[in-house]
Amino acid sequence: MANFAKISETNEVLNVVHVDDKDTTNGKGVEEEAVGQQFLEKSLNWPAHLWIKTSLNTRAGAHRQGGTPLRGNYAGIGFTWDSVNEIFIAPKPYPSWVLNTTDARWHSPIGDAPKDLTAEEIADGTIYNWNEDAGTWDKTT
Amino acid sequence: MQKKVLTEQALYHGDVSMPKDWEIDEIDLAHHILHSTFKDTAVLPSRTLDKLNVYIKDFINLKYDIRLIEQKLWGNIYKPQQKSNPLLHVDPVDLKNGPDFILLYGVQVEDCNVRIHYDDNRRKGRSWDMPLTNNKFIMFPSTNMYYITNDQKDSLNFIQSITYEYV
Repeated sequence: MANFAKISETNEVLNVVHVDDKDTTNGKGVEEEAVGQQFLEKSLNWPAHLWIKTSLNTRAGAHRQGGTPLRGNYAGIGFTWDSVNEIFIAPKPYPSWVLNTTDARWHSPIGDAPKDLTAEEIADGTIYNWNEDAGTWDKTT
Repeated sequence: MQKKVLTEQALYHGDVSMPKDWEIDEIDLAHHILHSTFKDTAVLPSRTLDKLNVYIKDFINLKYDIRLIEQKLWGNIYKPQQKSNPLLHVDPVDLKNGPDFILLYGVQVEDCNVRIHYDDNRRKGRSWDMPLTNNKFIMFPSTNMYYITNDQKDSLNFIQSITYEYV
C-alpha cells in the first residue's frame, strides 16, 4: 500500500489517499511514483504533479522502523509541501518557532522542552507546555 | 468576562481556483444541466461535476475544518428577468433528514443575485444580497430561505446546486 498527498497549487495538503501497490508499479513490477500519480490523475480527477508520495512511517525526518525516511513527515491535511527541501511540514505551532529542515520539525527558540520531569511528576500528569508570551517552557499539571 | 458562541450563520463564498488547465468546464456543466432539465431527471454524474464537488469538500475541510458529504446535486436554468420562488432545502417537520448547507455555483451567469434571508436574534427577517458570477460559489446554511434574481437581458443563467451535510 502506498500513500499519496493531494496538494493544491499553493502546496497545501488537501487530502491523503492510500493506493494499492498494483496501481503504483510499472510493467516490470517496480514501484514508481509517476505510475501512482498517473493512476490518481485518472481516477481522482486531479493533476498528476499535485500528488506527492508520502510515507506512513516517516516522522520528524526519521523512519520509525529504521528504514529510509521519505520527505520529512507523513503528510496530513493542512501540512505544507516544501518543494525546495522536499519535505512535508506541519502547521507552525507558535509564531516564534523556527523550522529545521533537517528533521522537518518546528523548534522553539530555546530548543525542546527540558527532559527533567521526575517520576513523581510524570505520574501526576505534569508536562511542559510552551508559553509563547514568556518564551519559556512551563510545567503544568 | 468571557464569550461563548453557541451557533453561527456563516456564508462561505469565493472563486473555484482549480489548477491551471484543470479549470471547471462550464460548457460541460451547462450541457448536463440542460439535459437534465429537458429530460426532467437528476444531473448525471460527470468528471466536471465531480471536480467541483471534490474541490469544495477539500477546501472547506482545509480552511474551516468542516467535513462535507453531498446529498443532492441538481442544476437550474433561469430566463432573463426571472426571479425564483422562495427556496428552502429543509423540511421544517423533518429537519433530521435535511442537509446542513446549500451551495450555489455560477456555471454561466450574468447579472445574477442571491438574496439570503436570516434572523439576527430578535431582529427577524433580515437579508443579505450577494452577486453570483461565473465560477464563483456561495454556500450557506440550508435553513436560510433565499431567492435568486436574474436581471440579464438575453441569455440563460445556469446555476449548479449541491446540498451537503457535515460530519
